[in-house]
Amino acid sequence: MMLTLLVLPALLMFIVSFFKYEKAKYFLPISSFAILLPIIKLFMLTKPYALLGSFLVADKLDTYILLVSSLVGIGVTLALLTLDKHVKVSAKAYRRFYRFFAIFWVGLTLSILANHMGIYWIGLELATLSTVYMIKTNHTRAAHKEAWNYMIAGAIAISLVLFGIILMYASAKPILGEDAMQFDLLLLHAKEIPSPFLFEMGFAIATVGMFVKMGFFPMNLWLANIERASFYPVAALFSGILESAVVIGFFRFSQIAKEVNYAHLFGFVFVYTLLTIFIVSFLIFRAKDFMRLFSLSGVEHMALIVLFWVSGGTFAALLHFGAHAFLKPALFLSTGVLESRGKYRIAGALRGYKGKKGQLFWVLVSLFLLAIISLPPSPMFFSELYGFGAMIKTAKQSDYMLEMIGAILFLLILLSVIFYRFVAIYQSMKYEGKEEEKKVYASELFALIIFALCLAALLLPVSFVYLRSIT
Amino acid sequence: MIAYFLTITVLLLIAPLLLSFIKMVKMKLLYKKPISIFQGYRNFSKLMHKETIVSQEASQITRVAPFLILSPLLVILFFLPPVVQGAFYVSFVDAFTITGLISLSTFFLMLLGLDSASAFGGMGSSREAFIAALVEPAMVLTVFSVSMMAGDLGVGQAGVNLAAHFPKAHMASFLFAAISFFILLIAENGRIPVDNPETHLELTMVHEAMILDITGVYLAIVETAASVKFIIFASLFASLFLPFGLQHTLPVAIMLFLVKLFMIATVVALIEVSTAKLRLFKVPNLLGIAIVFAFLSLITFYVLGA
Amino acid sequence: MGVDFFIGLFLATLIVSLFTSRLYRLILWYSMNSLVLGILALLTGKALDDKAMLITGIATLLIKAVGIPYLLKNFSEKFHFVRQIQPEIKVHYAIILIPAILVFTFYLSEPITHMINGNANYVAVSISSLFLSLLLMMEHRYVAPKIIGFLSMENALFLLGITATGGMPMLVELGIFFDLLMAIVVMNLLFHKEEEHS
Repeated sequence: MMLTLLVLPALLMFIVSFFKYEKAKYFLPISSFAILLPIIKLFMLTKPYALLGSFLVADKLDTYILLVSSLVGIGVTLALLTLDKHVKVSAKAYRRFYRFFAIFWVGLTLSILANHMGIYWIGLELATLSTVYMIKTNHTRAAHKEAWNYMIAGAIAISLVLFGIILMYASAKPILGEDAMQFDLLLLHAKEIPSPFLFEMGFAIATVGMFVKMGFFPMNLWLANIERASFYPVAALFSGILESAVVIGFFRFSQIAKEVNYAHLFGFVFVYTLLTIFIVSFLIFRAKDFMRLFSLSGVEHMALIVLFWVSGGTFAALLHFGAHAFLKPALFLSTGVLESRGKYRIAGALRGYKGKKGQLFWVLVSLFLLAIISLPPSPMFFSELYGFGAMIKTAKQSDYMLEMIGAILFLLILLSVIFYRFVAIYQSMKYEGKEEEKKVYASELFALIIFALCLAALLLPVSFVYLRSIT
Repeated sequence: MIAYFLTITVLLLIAPLLLSFIKMVKMKLLYKKPISIFQGYRNFSKLMHKETIVSQEASQITRVAPFLILSPLLVILFFLPPVVQGAFYVSFVDAFTITGLISLSTFFLMLLGLDSASAFGGMGSSREAFIAALVEPAMVLTVFSVSMMAGDLGVGQAGVNLAAHFPKAHMASFLFAAISFFILLIAENGRIPVDNPETHLELTMVHEAMILDITGVYLAIVETAASVKFIIFASLFASLFLPFGLQHTLPVAIMLFLVKLFMIATVVALIEVSTAKLRLFKVPNLLGIAIVFAFLSLITFYVLGA
Repeated sequence: MGVDFFIGLFLATLIVSLFTSRLYRLILWYSMNSLVLGILALLTGKALDDKAMLITGIATLLIKAVGIPYLLKNFSEKFHFVRQIQPEIKVHYAIILIPAILVFTFYLSEPITHMINGNANYVAVSISSLFLSLLLMMEHRYVAPKIIGFLSMENALFLLGITATGGMPMLVELGIFFDLLMAIVVMNLLFHKEEEHS
């Protein structure tokens, strides 16, 4: 019952996408709000709550991530209403975009709620395949090429994940039998896994697969290329929903790996993320258009989330995750508006928005831009503080204090490079270039307001308490 | 000892028969009127009666080479694994010796081609060198790998061991070696994907180009050498990769062995009918597959033991 | 013994397909590869007395060995694929590269093989076939062989699933099949669009 309600908005979208009636799409944002009802119910239920046997289980972690991703889904549905006003898209392709968006949403809802490695993978694969078509909605040569690229590279990444899952399953099968696919049982019996090496090998391979999907080293540019070539809602979906699903998989796998061998997990992820941030910060420094800029900064934030999580800063990681998941889609959606006239121009992009709507729009976008580089009232500021604190705390228990401080200083230098670049871009957007008349639509603005409210809600004491209670 | 010599005699006798058999099967499959299965013998006797003419430019080598082409192959015949249990066999000859002797024969064949001083001979020789260089590593690796599975480096001993204890635990590497060896069999004997033995079109010839200028007895010897070479490869394949039926009595065992040989010949004929000849520069692709499989067989055996 | 033989055939078909330069031949080798995989699944399922694996084995035979090759051939006729697919990696290098990959993966999986009881070697074979199918994807420029590389990768993972773990849960196997069909649908759409616009 609960499950039906959760996938109902997506199913409705799927059905509506078959109607040729133009106005039908206006029904979708309203129906998508309905997803909030079962989620609120889920928050009130005692956890873990079994949605579908032991396959789909709602616990504190995935309820939170489901809420975040559903809010993003609502926002994107709102912004999708005016897609045809900003870009050229045929009616048929538009409907098909909705259809594959629905499949994508269903797949990722399954992935996020999964308590079963197999289901998690199936959901992820479903989402990956449907994304391919969403990229292809844009009828350009570049989009076509990137759709194939995504198909191939995404397939490799997802196969690596499956490969890792099989190895992990094989490592735990002697003690758990067919139940070795379940995250909670694996976590419970992590210490008894008969062949930890096999598990770690599987974990490493699955993690590399997930990291590739999130655009970590060495695939730093592929997400940026794809998001550049496709329509802007795709980028928003990537950063808001797809990455939530990927990251929750990483959270779950790493929880088990932590029990198996913490030192290995930490070393592996630490080196990987540091390398990623190092490269990404320089790529950001050279970025010349919004999409690339934002998607590269998305990679940076995902790396930070992963780093905080394995350092034991669960709270910091989740807070950072929430902030990232709201900020990035908001920025990507506003990119669609910013770019709708005069393509990649950064200079003066924020000027020329007249009227109440326009004013509100540029204020919101500037706020988002400043929030993404973690200027104080932003949740990112707090999460980074807590995260670095957690890293120091972990290092205190080992003999690597000095190295950790060095690494954090190094990270701060890299982050300041990014900070510097973003401030420069903001100034150029606001104070340079010519003033041109530009238009904003109510639905987009509404989506941005939702994201802004969600960001503010993250800072409420209630949400802090909830996030702290997740371990 | 009787079985030993009997086998060699039988093999020597049916050598021309086997090649004619392949030709016959091919012609049947192509709906042509098939040649007689004894055509090989007829050709031999015809050539023996013909006058032998040697090119003016040819040196002494042309007179010596045909014998030197045939003799290493005849020596190999004595080293083959036995076809019946309890028969005498030479146990100490390993992969390198056999490959070396085959190369020696090929070397003189190439000399013969060069010696006639015609353009075709040189071209054929260079092509033969090209193919032989690629065949050799694969050949050594394959036979070596099979010998390892059999637990003895000697090829004769390996054949006996394989018949006694079929390597059930090493089926994968055994299979790889078999694939590799079969490709070598086709390549080294100039069968269709590598060389077309029936044409005298200058663009495609390899083996025929080298022997274009020799006549009479010499040609008969060289043709016999070609058929002996085929029978060596076929019987190596039969005793190393189809090692069963050795425990029967002598006549039955020999019959069974001949059946295996004809089976191999049929498969070769089928491949010849169903594939087109490769361009010369595509031949390395085919031999590359052989080398990869030979190597794969060795490492599968060593690393995995499968 | 039988399983050993077929696992050899599995790897052999994959290696041969690495050298293939014609699309239909490649599809044929993929079909052979899946056929061997299906037989392997049936054999292992019979040995373990696992009904689920028998069903997946039959599904493999039907879908992967017959259905998908047929569909691919259909697509290639419908959308006029380039059928002459010369691998980008020259054969001379491939001869060196492939054994290097095999040695690397065999040694890589050596510690793993000690931990899995039963068909230990097959894990090594499936891991190396995973890498080889990655190579297959890398060495071609056109889309169709890349797809076959992806499908072979799926086969390698399936082999790993049946040999390393003695069969994954039925649900997961069916899910994988479902995703495979979905992949085919998406491919069809992608090709379709290409047709419309060029």
